[in-house]
Amino acid sequence: MGDQPTAEALLEAMADTLDRQVVPSAVGGAQHAARVVANLCRIIGRELASEPGSGAAGDLEAEVWRLLGSDEPPDDVPPMGQASALSTEAVAALDRALRSPDPQLLDAALPLLRRDVERRLAISKPTYLEDRP
Amino acid sequence: MSDTATGTPVSAGGPTASKHAPTEHALAELLAANGWVNPNVTVTGAASVGAQRSTLLVDIDSAGQQTRAVAQISSGVIAATPATVEAAVIRLAAAEGVPTPRVLAATDSLPGSGQPAMVVSHEPGLSIPRRVLRSVADLGTGEALAADCGAALATLHRRDVSSAPSDLDRLRLDDPFGDYCDDLAAKLDLLPQPHPAIRLGVEWLRRHPPSPPSSPTLVHADFRTGNLLVHEGRLSAVLDWELAHVGDPMEDVAYLCLRTWRFGNDHLPVGGFGTLRALRAAYESGGGVWRDDAFAWWMAARTAWWACGLAAQAAAFTTGLTDSIVLAASGRRVPELEYDLLNLIDPHHRREP
Repeated sequence: MGDQPTAEALLEAMADTLDRQVVPSAVGGAQHAARVVANLCRIIGRELASEPGSGAAGDLEAEVWRLLGSDEPPDDVPPMGQASALSTEAVAALDRALRSPDPQLLDAALPLLRRDVERRLAISKPTYLEDRP
Repeated sequence: MSDTATGTPVSAGGPTASKHAPTEHALAELLAANGWVNPNVTVTGAASVGAQRSTLLVDIDSAGQQTRAVAQISSGVIAATPATVEAAVIRLAAAEGVPTPRVLAATDSLPGSGQPAMVVSHEPGLSIPRRVLRSVADLGTGEALAADCGAALATLHRRDVSSAPSDLDRLRLDDPFGDYCDDLAAKLDLLPQPHPAIRLGVEWLRRHPPSPPSSPTLVHADFRTGNLLVHEGRLSAVLDWELAHVGDPMEDVAYLCLRTWRFGNDHLPVGGFGTLRALRAAYESGGGVWRDDAFAWWMAARTAWWACGLAAQAAAFTTGLTDSIVLAASGRRVPELEYDLLNLIDPHHRREP
């Protein structure tokens, strides 16, 4: 149990302070930078609150390895980051396979990559997902 | 550039004598070499927050006359077209009738710093996207502005490319779309991290080339909200010509319509201010040839390109080339472009742009 307030609460307060107090009184590049930093605080807050490997992207890592013809992912692959459900190894292996893909791989990889992208987007800019039909 | 409809520069220059003295001296030397008589240059403010170059508002005092101008000085973090080539393209486009600022001087190596620089006339209007979109919405000129853009692009694309500077990039005529995909793949290979979603997009594009243009044209290649100077709701000048090249005219038309340049106004595909109908009607009545398949292809291709661009900005931060928080934040915008790219190529997700 750490000291209070929590990291998430502080990040939200930092973003609000920048938006309410700094952005209105800053000009030009400084104002733009303040907006960008406020947004980054909110992104980091969502990233801290997300659980890697959970939700819709849960089995994505295993599905990517299956697509690439490997039954099991290599042992002990760390996730690439909180935002992605995929390990560095899976991302690199998929990228390699997509350099000279057959059409079936392009079709099959698209829905898997869409799930990873949507998961990262839910952290970096969730409102961007709202256009889905 | 500047947002001068408000009458004030975006950033106040303040007491600039010490900070800007080397730049003022270098710009004066450049102008003197371009025929200005004993020019004295005063930096009055910083006009934009561009990632690749700084844009300064300057006053030129020469032979008893005051001229307001804008000096663009490249930062050199990411290589760009030489300033002298960019200046030649602007002059060509202006001669054809495209609204542009007037080039006052350009050099690929500013005295002292060696940076590429260009000085252009100061034109009235707004360029910062949120201000442009607010102003256009208030004035109700969105469709007229979309038509202005269609007309300006048709005019630019009419230009005979035989007189374009020989050192401009040219898309390979025998395989323009494969050539573009090769460039995108090379950009991906330069990034420190793999981006399989962009890679998939590039390989999809390689396998689905559209109809070719009847002939290559001059292409601005960065024609979008943010690079359009808008005065009283209408297009007053097309800015930032550093990516201009010879290629497929539909590249320009599509780029203006990317979701990323709508700044949240997703229902207005043309730059967040107008409809495709208005853009297309003006483009065609100005002599432009609209190709639907190429429009769709370039929407996806240019989305992939900008995804690479944002990732490259983030890489410049992670590798220590820049300490800009704005460039660092670009890395977290990559998923937006990847999402758009997958939507544009996914047969199960096809919808009007």
